[in-house]
Amino acid sequence: MHGEYKMPGGKLVVADLEVRNGKLTGVRVSGDFFLEPDSALTLIDVALEGLPAAADDKQHAAVIRAALGSNVRMYGVSPEAIAVAVQRALEPPA
Amino acid sequence: MNRTGWNDYKWRLIHAAPQPPALHMALDEVLTDEVAARRRPPTLRVWEWSSACVVIGRFQSLRNEVDSEAAQRHDIGIVRRISGGGAMFIEPGNTITYSLYAPETLVAGMNFQESYQFMDAWVINALQELGIDVWYQPLNDIASPAGKIAGAAQTRRGGAVLHHVTMAYDIDTTRMLEVLRIGREKLSDKATQSAAKRVDPLRSQTGLARAEIIDKMIATFRNRHGLAIGRIRPEELERAQALAESKFSSDSWTGIVP
Repeated sequence: MHGEYKMPGGKLVVADLEVRNGKLTGVRVSGDFFLEPDSALTLIDVALEGLPAAADDKQHAAVIRAALGSNVRMYGVSPEAIAVAVQRALEPPA
Repeated sequence: MNRTGWNDYKWRLIHAAPQPPALHMALDEVLTDEVAARRRPPTLRVWEWSSACVVIGRFQSLRNEVDSEAAQRHDIGIVRRISGGGAMFIEPGNTITYSLYAPETLVAGMNFQESYQFMDAWVINALQELGIDVWYQPLNDIASPAGKIAGAAQTRRGGAVLHHVTMAYDIDTTRMLEVLRIGREKLSDKATQSAAKRVDPLRSQTGLARAEIIDKMIATFRNRHGLAIGRIRPEELERAQALAESKFSSDSWTGIVP
């Protein structure tokens, strides 16, 4: 499943994932945004892995924000934007 | 961290003969680290490409961004750089690419947007003096009334900042769109709807040869901040060649975000 979200005033955020037993699995977040340090991308993928697919984007964003802590700097991307991309992957437009 | 200024340094220029894409990726890593370690003065490096390629950003999905089969068919290489940002389509002579390597103190206390604007200021000045109406366009573009001219990307490593920019000189958008997958979502809040029209090259805007524009850029930098001729040291080249092979030509790096 694949979702994309262009953050207003930011960059493109993409989420590729599967759902197994109601949980997110194989989560891959990508895009043309900026993250420092670059290892933070793995923290995001790991934080999303296994979360309930039924959770809403606010809950997903809170988990991402907690996983990243205060040392990660983001430009053109945010936990909320990533959560929207995840939500779009889960609910592809009809 | 106290902020330093452009003119606190003795800047060096590197403008070497054409080099392959993986070596350019490796040189960015090595030269950034050399500046961080204070073994090299802050440097402006102008790139010359020896072959065509797609360069994808550190956080982009290889599969989502590039049609690998089409790239192979057209003999276009695929490499991933160490900075974030978007994919670029490179054919020798069709872009002007350069890197700035500086101590992070040069952008101390700035947020990302301020540091992009600050690092782009000299080149915007150079292009304006060539008669092009250009400005810094957040987050990381240089734009003109006719569209985007250039994209920048930054990364920070060990106390140094790398700021590199690719400007379109004369781009073959048809070929570009055969190898790059540019989705509708990406264009959703852009003023223009056609990907082919998103980039307006310097050639049509200036009528100048690529080398003349590069000369002007170098002259502008030299006038503003001073710039002495430099070169890649043998040990830097050796390390970069090793990294070009072991890291930047490897599927594990290029496909690190599959």
